[in-house]
Amino acid sequence: MTRSDLPVKARQRRATVLAGIILLQALCALFFIGDVVADFLDNGRVEDLHIGLEALAAVALIGGVVFLMIELRRMLARMRDMDAGLQVARGQMAGVMEGFFEAWSLTDAERDVAMMILKGLDNEAIAQVRNTAPGTVRAQAASIYAKSGTHGRAQFVSLFVEELMSGDFGAAGGAEGVPAAGAGAVGGLRG
Amino acid sequence: MALVMEHRGGRDSARDLMVWDPLVRLIHWSLALTVLLNGAVTDPEGKLHEWVGYAALALVAIRFVWALAGPAEARFSAFPPSPARAIRHVRAALAGDRTVHLSHNPVGALMVYNLWLTVIALGVTGYMMTTLRFFGIDWVEEAHEIAFTWLMVSVALHVAGVAVDSWRSGVNLVRAMINGRKRIPDGTRLE
Repeated sequence: MTRSDLPVKARQRRATVLAGIILLQALCALFFIGDVVADFLDNGRVEDLHIGLEALAAVALIGGVVFLMIELRRMLARMRDMDAGLQVARGQMAGVMEGFFEAWSLTDAERDVAMMILKGLDNEAIAQVRNTAPGTVRAQAASIYAKSGTHGRAQFVSLFVEELMSGDFGAAGGAEGVPAAGAGAVGGLRG
Repeated sequence: MALVMEHRGGRDSARDLMVWDPLVRLIHWSLALTVLLNGAVTDPEGKLHEWVGYAALALVAIRFVWALAGPAEARFSAFPPSPARAIRHVRAALAGDRTVHLSHNPVGALMVYNLWLTVIALGVTGYMMTTLRFFGIDWVEEAHEIAFTWLMVSVALHVAGVAVDSWRSGVNLVRAMINGRKRIPDGTRLE
């Protein structure tokens, strides 16, 4: 979907590969165990080198499977944390944006346009999405910059980037975190 | 562990939750493949049939280990075999309840245990037929046949159950078993 999902995708691929290895290795381990048991039942001599080696292989494979299963569990837990972290960050960012828009008393149309500006759409594209003339979007954008006290797109976007980089944007959805007032507590983005 | 999802209005009206880890999914589809192979492709008298059968047994065994040591949704404790819960679930579903279960729903859980036990029964009776002691004994062969028929009935019910529950809850369960994620409609009760 978006660029921020890339590391998640890569981790998912790794987890899938790991699961595949676990499965194959566990199947091999069970094969060796079955073979050792069958051999043992056949001639019943443990000290036989062949059976001994097979038993060793089985033990080694089981050890590997256990180790990899633990590793997979860790990886899944990390992925889950990251997922949760991203959702929290997204939720908080949405809260921060809502707070800003509220404080600047943007109209509904302006909010939509502002959101799309933040997502990186240019005026042409915004006009297409909203089914309006590019001139209308330009006027709305100008109004947004005026209300937010910025001199254009780059400075407007940087307001939010700055908020992200300050590392402590508002915990409760951030309506109080309007520029100048400075943001609230909680470094909830880490981890 | 019931919780009600907060309503996060607007365009973000559904969210993806990772529910099936890659090992669970690989085992699921591998087991389905072994059933397909031995049910329709391999020669029942042949060596390949035997080995595919052992592989099915091994897959169930690995799944059991993962159900004891794996992540929360994969564990036995996430889907205890409880007919009482299953009946309650059916009643609630008939009354229009659309609760989404992160692991198997209570009826699905019963089916899961049924499928695993049937595969084990098939594997054990199949193995018995290869041993000198039970070779050519009628009741073993009959048990193998009956278990196979029951497995086919169960698979049909399993597929029908997946279709019905996908329709009821609005969560595509087939997709969840492929990419591991359930897309939860907004405002749905999770369990």
